[in-house]
This record gives sequence, structure tokens and C-alpha cells, in this order.
Amino acid sequence: MQVYLPIAEMSVDALLLVSIGFAVGWLSGLFGVGGGFLLTPLLILIGIPSPVAVASGANQTLGASVSGLIAQWRRGNVDAKMGTVLLVGGLLGSAAGVQLFGLLRRIGQVDLAVALFYVVVLGTVGTLMVMESVRAILRRRQAVRRRLHEHLWAHGLPFKMRFRKSRLYISVIPPLLVGFAVGVLSAVMGVGGGFMLVPAMIYFLGMPTAVVIGTSLFQVVFVTANVTLLQAVQLGTVDIVLTMLLLLGAVAGAQFGAAMGARLRGEETRALLGLLVLAVAASLLWDLVRPPERPFSIGPAL
Amino acid sequence: MTAPWWWLLLALALAPARAAAAEPPLVAALSQGVVEVTTGFTGATLTVFGSTGEPIGPGGDEVVILVRGPTRPIVVRRKVQVAGLLWVNGPSARFEHVPGFYALAATRPAWQILPEQERMRHGVGLDALPLESRGARGPAFRAALLALETERGLWSEDATPVEIRGNRLFHATIALPATVPTGEYRVEVLLVRARQVAAREELGFWVNRVGAADRIATVAEVQPLVYGLACVLLAALAGWLGSVLFRRS
Repeated sequence: MQVYLPIAEMSVDALLLVSIGFAVGWLSGLFGVGGGFLLTPLLILIGIPSPVAVASGANQTLGASVSGLIAQWRRGNVDAKMGTVLLVGGLLGSAAGVQLFGLLRRIGQVDLAVALFYVVVLGTVGTLMVMESVRAILRRRQAVRRRLHEHLWAHGLPFKMRFRKSRLYISVIPPLLVGFAVGVLSAVMGVGGGFMLVPAMIYFLGMPTAVVIGTSLFQVVFVTANVTLLQAVQLGTVDIVLTMLLLLGAVAGAQFGAAMGARLRGEETRALLGLLVLAVAASLLWDLVRPPERPFSIGPAL
Repeated sequence: MTAPWWWLLLALALAPARAAAAEPPLVAALSQGVVEVTTGFTGATLTVFGSTGEPIGPGGDEVVILVRGPTRPIVVRRKVQVAGLLWVNGPSARFEHVPGFYALAATRPAWQILPEQERMRHGVGLDALPLESRGARGPAFRAALLALETERGLWSEDATPVEIRGNRLFHATIALPATVPTGEYRVEVLLVRARQVAAREELGFWVNRVGAADRIATVAEVQPLVYGLACVLLAALAGWLGSVLFRRS
């Protein structure tokens, strides 16, 4: 069934969009990532103009994350206090990220910068996650007990705050920094940022995996809402028909994903997400390195 | 392909009345003045039809039909390899006033009908489009623009011929793909006699969004803040609804 997208000004198969939404939503529920890093490249692949793909992708990530957030909230897996601290950093970071994006645009190398950002960030995050989770799985096999509470250097900073849900008593500076950095990256890459936030919370803040997913969804919901608004007002590239079709599949997928995630062990979940992130990074790198099929591309002049 | 017959009948009915008056060399009309882009739009076809004073066809007059969409500026970028490793967008050329749609139909391929000079003057044929570029030089940019627009189905020449019935009636079907830009379109019908443009008729039609598609696009353009807020709320609502509907204990 073909449907006409009013902002993208093209017609696409509605069923295809719903399926893409379902697949991405499923991952969103399973891993607690919005799935923007998968969705945006997929939409561009099926021919949606990239500004529309980025903006509508952020909008759909918002919806899917709300769905995932509610599912996690019911299970009591959201640390709202930690989420709020991260969000303050995130909103400041995305405001700064928009400025950086504007600068890249003036230099004229947005495409390259975004692609490189994706490859470097996804590659690093993916590698770290796979390595750590494999080590954790091996450790479990050897039946050596892990220390319950690790002391990281970040725990020595001032302005300490107690995060009950996360079972942490740490300074607010590290979560603010994490939120800010993810905010910057998400504004430049046009994604929610969950795939960066999840590992940052585990490895940098030392939060337990169970609360990490719900709390990252909490942050992603507000950051994508901010991005959607900014894109709609400044560029007019949010296509609500596209968003709703994607969401139709995504909300169903997210619930199934969340239910399945509850049955998976933390280490396995992280290893799978790490592999997925690495696969996306590898395919994006391949696109940059291989000789292009078409040496020329056309786009509307701004 | 049944639709054109209606227009031929109409044209036939008009023909005798016209013959009595002073014979105009060329009369043409469109099957519709507005192409409506609804939420279910998958492209449309438009029929250009008309009649001539003198016989058309081999040895007689020829008919050339040009359809041009609204223009917009386009940037063509060329990928270059840096450091022998990465392919990045390198030099670019900016073309002003590039038609968003261009179709050429004629009773015979246009280059056989018109001398080169005439063809260029009337912009008949993709190679005759007046495309001025700024930025990087070189014919490759222009060629790439032609190739990519043709591939998207937005530009075509001699895709379907102008068909002749009863040696004075002609009609041509113009296919508008789903990606056609909205706006005002110009249709030029040229009557060619002895390799010269003998008569010319200009028609127009609109491609308009209607219904829900139009309302969405209008709100997004006129009240972006309201639209953005609506997008945020709708997405959140859909997410909430989904979590209620698919609740699994």
C-alpha cells in the first residue's frame, strides 16, 4: 500500500515503513536504545531525503522511547533522579551541538563529519561493549565473584548526591558531563543517543544494568523531543505521516523487545547490542572507503 | 489506456464548429487543470490533446509538446578520494532555475523535426535546457544532473510519442511520478511546419496537495512551532497507547 508523505513529497510503501518501525522498536525495547542510529541510515537507504530522515527519525525515536520507558517504569527500572541530572547536561549539550552542526555546515562538510562521527563513536562504543561483556561472561563461567561496588576515580569528586535506585553515592559532575557529551553527539548525529548513553552509564558511572536501560530511555525521550521541536521550527523537515507509520510498528516491537530483554542476562544483552553497533559502524565505514557507485550526487541548494 | 479516447471524442465534437470560423493553425487543451496530490498519491497521468488546421504526420506538420515543472536551485556534488582512503564530497556546481519536472513528447524525435538552432531556442530536448551553473566547471556536472533527474523519472524526452488520429487530431500522455514537486506547471504545444515553429500554444496546470496531505504541509510551513509541538505530543501519545495496547504482564 503506497502512501504519500506530505513533507518528504514522495510516496512509499506503508507496509515497509511499519516493518522497519517494528524491527527498530523491538531493538529499542530490548536494549533500551532509541534505535535512531539504525533508523536514520535505513530511511535514507529507501530513498527518504536525509534531512527528513534525520528529523522524522528523532521524532519516531521519541515515540518508541516513551513506549519503552513506560514498560521499564512499570518494572521499576528507572532512576528518575539520575535521569534528571543527565537531562540537564543533555539539554545544554544538544544546544551546544546545534551550534557545532551550524559550524560544520558553514565549512561545507556535514556529510563527512556525520559519517566519521558515526564510525568513530559506534566503532569505539561497540568494541568496548563486546570486550567488556565477553570478559564478564567468561568471569561468570569461572565462577569468580565480582566485586559488588567498584571504586572509580569519578567517585572522588565533590557535590555528591545519593542515587537510591542506582545504589550510587557519587558526585553530580560525571553524570552532567555524560549527559552533555551525549547531547552534543546526538545533535550532530541526529539520533537520541541511547547507544552511547547506555555504555557510558555502565562503564563510566558504574550504574547497574537493570536501571541503565530505563534511565537512558528517560533521557532520550526529552532529548528527542527537543530535537524534534528544533528541526520542525528551524528546518521544517519533520514528516508526521512518516513518523506515525514507523511508530505503528515500533510501539508493538518495543513491548516485545522489553519483555524479551527482561529474560536475557545483562552481559548477553550488552554483547548483542555491541555487535549490532559494530555492524552498523562497519557498514558505514565501508560506504566511506569503497569507490562510490555514482561519483555525483544532487541535492536541493540551501 | 482508455482515458484519452474521451478527450478525442471531445476534440472531434469541437472540430466541425471550429472549421466554420477562421481556421486556427493549432488548438490544444489538457485533460485537467489540477493534479491533486492526496495521501494515497502514487503518481498521475495527464493527457495533452488538440487538433491542427493542416494534416499532421509524415510529410505534413509535426507537433511537439513540452511540460515544465516549477524551478528550484540544485547543487551537484562530485565525490573525490582524500588520502587515498575516504570518498568525500568534493567540488560542487550550483544550478539555478532547474525545472523540477521536464517532459518532451513529439510526433517524431524532436531532433529530426527541428533544426538544432530552433530546438535550442525553444528549449526542446534535455540538452537544450538552459542550465547555468556556478562553482565547479566542467560538462560532467551538467551530464550528471541530467542522468540523475532522468533516473528519478522527473525528466524525460520522447518517452511516449504524440499520437495522431485522423491526421488532424493529436494526443499525448504525460506520466507524473509520485515524486513530482508541487506548484505551477507550464505546457507548451508547438506546431512545426517545414522545420520552423509555425504556431505555439501555452497551457498550464497545477500540482496541488489536497486533503490531509495539504493540511499537514500547510501547518508545518505556516505554524512550525505548533506543528513541532503536535509532532512531539502525537509521537508520545502513540508510544503511550502502544504500551497500553501491548501490555504484557
